[in-house]
Amino acid sequence: MTLGEFQGELIRGTAWLGHDFTGQRVAVIAPGREAAQIVPEVAATALSVKVFQEEPDWVLPLPVPGPRAVGVAMARVFLRWQVKDPWVRRLLTPDRFGSRRLAPGLGYFATLRRPNCKLITWPVYAFAAAGVRTAEGVEHRADCVVLGPSSVFARTATPEGHPA
Amino acid sequence: MSYDFAAMLQTIKDKQWSLADIDWDAPGAETMTDELRAKMRPFMADLVWIEHVGARGFASLATKAPTPEIQEIYRYFHAEEQKHANAELALMKRWGMLDEDGTMPEPNINVKLAIKVLDDFGDTLPLSGLATLIPLLECALDGALVKFLLEEISDPVCHQVFRHINSDESRHITVDFQVLELIGASAPHTLLIETIGNLKPQVIIGLIVVFVPLINKMRDNIVAMGLPEQKLYNAVKRFVTVGGRGKHTKRIPAYHVLKSQAAMVIDRSHPYHRYLADPMVKVTSLVPARLLGKPQSWTEEITHEPVAS
Ligand SMILES: [Fe+2]
Ligand SMILES: [Fe+2]
Repeated sequence: MTLGEFQGELIRGTAWLGHDFTGQRVAVIAPGREAAQIVPEVAATALSVKVFQEEPDWVLPLPVPGPRAVGVAMARVFLRWQVKDPWVRRLLTPDRFGSRRLAPGLGYFATLRRPNCKLITWPVYAFAAAGVRTAEGVEHRADCVVLGPSSVFARTATPEGHPA
Repeated sequence: MSYDFAAMLQTIKDKQWSLADIDWDAPGAETMTDELRAKMRPFMADLVWIEHVGARGFASLATKAPTPEIQEIYRYFHAEEQKHANAELALMKRWGMLDEDGTMPEPNINVKLAIKVLDDFGDTLPLSGLATLIPLLECALDGALVKFLLEEISDPVCHQVFRHINSDESRHITVDFQVLELIGASAPHTLLIETIGNLKPQVIIGLIVVFVPLINKMRDNIVAMGLPEQKLYNAVKRFVTVGGRGKHTKRIPAYHVLKSQAAMVIDRSHPYHRYLADPMVKVTSLVPARLLGKPQSWTEEITHEPVAS
């Protein structure tokens, strides 16, 4: 996986924290647990956000002590309460081979509901000069790409002309 | 020796393509005459919906894939079927088959029923049933519908698009049958449990009410448009031969059920049509669409635009 010829801005690691995205169309590429942290922060300043969720994770409003099953049950209720669209809820629900993690993300679902924010779960397969190409055949234009620290692209990409 | 699904997943990733790879304004659109346009428009609309509903089928399969690699393959197939629907909608736009704002043609009531059943039961259908149904539909699509389309239409852009689609479909069919082998090779009691799962009455009734008239109506539609029935026979024969070639597929009860179902569908003299399928086409045509409620939001994701801002 490489970042190919992508010409836009590239944000890695935790550089999205406190970054100003004013006027930018931002693509966030990350697993759910990281998107839950990154997306509300990015959406606070960005013109629009597309969230390319690499895999879903259970998201909680706050970290919950105790056994994992309690956390999962709470995450289910939180999801059900926050996301009314059954198809979107399905996309946000972890599957049986996914990660077993629980992540805090108080504002994640509320941010996804905004009209300028969209959840996409089609696999990202390549970067073009002006955006991200996904397997449903569409090129999603973006001025800036934010890679979650454990995105498949963050792990294996060798940036060309993008100092890490 | 077991099949290398990991290598297949890598091939799938390497073979990705995008609507943006196609020059949608290249010459050739003028080969679409008014007569051909009128004839092919309903065919294309059906085709787009078959791909779109097929995509939803892979989404359900992904939730019950036997291994993480197969799950990831299904995730790609889900996206690829969506890509086929998108590309075929883009062809419709190129040929002036869409209205001003380029909206997707309305599905017929039988497609609407299929969407409803997939939304309500899709994720609860047993793996062996769904995994057997999909290769049957893919054989029909690949072997009959697409071959017919390519014989009727000479537009080079259409042929370019279908080189990509056919290449994707050859991988779908390979994986479909390899998964059946994997399922068939599992312990006999697992298959039996799955078959009992298959027999939940509300699911069985749902499937019959939806798929029996859906398939008959589609068959009548495409035969009326000039598709030779022989092509459908050949497609079903392929499903039977490829499945029969496998060592373990024959052990799957759903394979035998669908095999005889398919044989009835293509045999017009079979009483199945007179007593079951044709009356059901009539009955379902009377179902008011509003009874079904709003379909889930995945049905709004289709687009003919190669680029989204
Ligand atoms: Fe397809
Ligand atoms: Fe397919």
